[in-house]
Amino acid sequence: MIYELKIEDDVPKTVNSFLKQLLESGKVDAVLAMQETPSGKSAFPTMISDPEKLNTNVFAPLLPVSTGAMVSRLTKIKGSDKPLAVVLRACEIRALTELLKLKQADLENIVLIGVDCPGTFPMKTYSNYPGDDDPTEVVLKGESEENMRTACLNCKDPVPETADMIIGIFGADTDKAILLDTRTENGQELVSDMKLSEVATEEDREKAVLEIRNKRDEARKAFIDEHSDIAGVDKLLEFFDTCVNCHNCMKACPICYCRECLFESDVFDVEASKYMAKAKSKGAYKTPTDSLLFHVTRFNHMILSCVECGLCEQACPSDIPLMDIITAIAENAQAEFEYLPGRDPEEEMPMIVYREDEFLDVGEK
Amino acid sequence: MSEEKEKKNEDFEPKIVGFLCNWCSYAGADLAGTSRIQYPPNIRVIRVMCSGSVDSVYVNRALLEGADAVLIGGCHPGDCHYINGNYKARRKMVLLKNILTTLGMEPDRIWLRWISASEGQKFADTVKEIVNETKKLGPNPMKEKWNI
Repeated sequence: MIYELKIEDDVPKTVNSFLKQLLESGKVDAVLAMQETPSGKSAFPTMISDPEKLNTNVFAPLLPVSTGAMVSRLTKIKGSDKPLAVVLRACEIRALTELLKLKQADLENIVLIGVDCPGTFPMKTYSNYPGDDDPTEVVLKGESEENMRTACLNCKDPVPETADMIIGIFGADTDKAILLDTRTENGQELVSDMKLSEVATEEDREKAVLEIRNKRDEARKAFIDEHSDIAGVDKLLEFFDTCVNCHNCMKACPICYCRECLFESDVFDVEASKYMAKAKSKGAYKTPTDSLLFHVTRFNHMILSCVECGLCEQACPSDIPLMDIITAIAENAQAEFEYLPGRDPEEEMPMIVYREDEFLDVGEK
Repeated sequence: MSEEKEKKNEDFEPKIVGFLCNWCSYAGADLAGTSRIQYPPNIRVIRVMCSGSVDSVYVNRALLEGADAVLIGGCHPGDCHYINGNYKARRKMVLLKNILTTLGMEPDRIWLRWISASEGQKFADTVKEIVNETKKLGPNPMKEKWNI
């Protein structure tokens, strides 16, 4: 059911007062949502239990970490005993869904509130936003997508379909009201005591959602085409030329969940004489070793669950535009297995299932 | 292909890394040896417990260090000692080949074959086939790359 939330002051404050109502109703013990840090330079998913401390801005256009990964951290040892509402964007819910399949999170007593995502800026841009404009207002108006992260401009789906409830801006006149779409019984139950008016027609929203999806789809296709020339050994080595092998991309990735990554272990460490042998076989050998091995193998390990949040690209100290190649790799690999990460929590991950009569051309040609 | 390069390919002896499963393919290779079936000495065999245990990292490692081809040998479908490891190996290699294709990286250097413990001849034929096909592909360009 889609309800309207009348605007009080502005959009973030309206959502904040809705969350405050939730908290005060006692139906949830805490809310995990994006809250600006005191300096205003950044915002992080913050767990808030005191309604007085609630000063959220769920539309703050930045993605410092994936809230999906944060839910995993909070619930990995044991799920929540008390009801908790988590506010996340579409890519964050997709990441959480994948982590659930990997048994890295527990949704016991957790209700997921999704927000329509108009896109985010890189951290650095958000912290020092040029001019006097407020970055949140800029994205909510949707007039300019300048400076936005490429991952966002090519987003697979900015609407958090699998949430219990969606706070919607697509198809709403954000000067007057925003939308509240309850999609599950849990979501409906949360707002059952609130006095909310239903929207007259859902057509506007459907139309707006279709429009933004088409826009992102087209951008994505064009983007993949545009970067299809990054292929072949030489181009690839050039692409990763500035990689310092810091593994930040892996650490920022919500899907890379291994406690100890293979590449942080000593599996590849050998005696000096063996490195010398390598140098002799090729005449020269760069250190740190295995940069390309790390990236290609990391793609193998996470790409089927890649939700394309672009956090890897944001984490790179050398500003390697990782999404330039990851977008195409994810598209092709996920298509091969007809798998879409985050689409359905019940869907099995491709690498743990099999059929006897598939890919027959790969085993025996 | 230029004449010069063709000549170079004829002289070139590919290095092949083979990951053979303990229960079928390795026994098949062993049978080829004890039966004195001749096959090219280009393959370096690594015994693994199951083809399903061959992570893409090992295949990538071999290819990036300059191996000209990689063979993953497993039990025939339905015969896996661990019930379904070979089916999972197949999915892993499909994914790896898909990614290498997107990256423009020669997925044809990866071979997946089902060789049973009684198929010494098939093992020998498989190695011959890989050597011939790899000679057509030419040496792995990664051999020359020192900045990987």
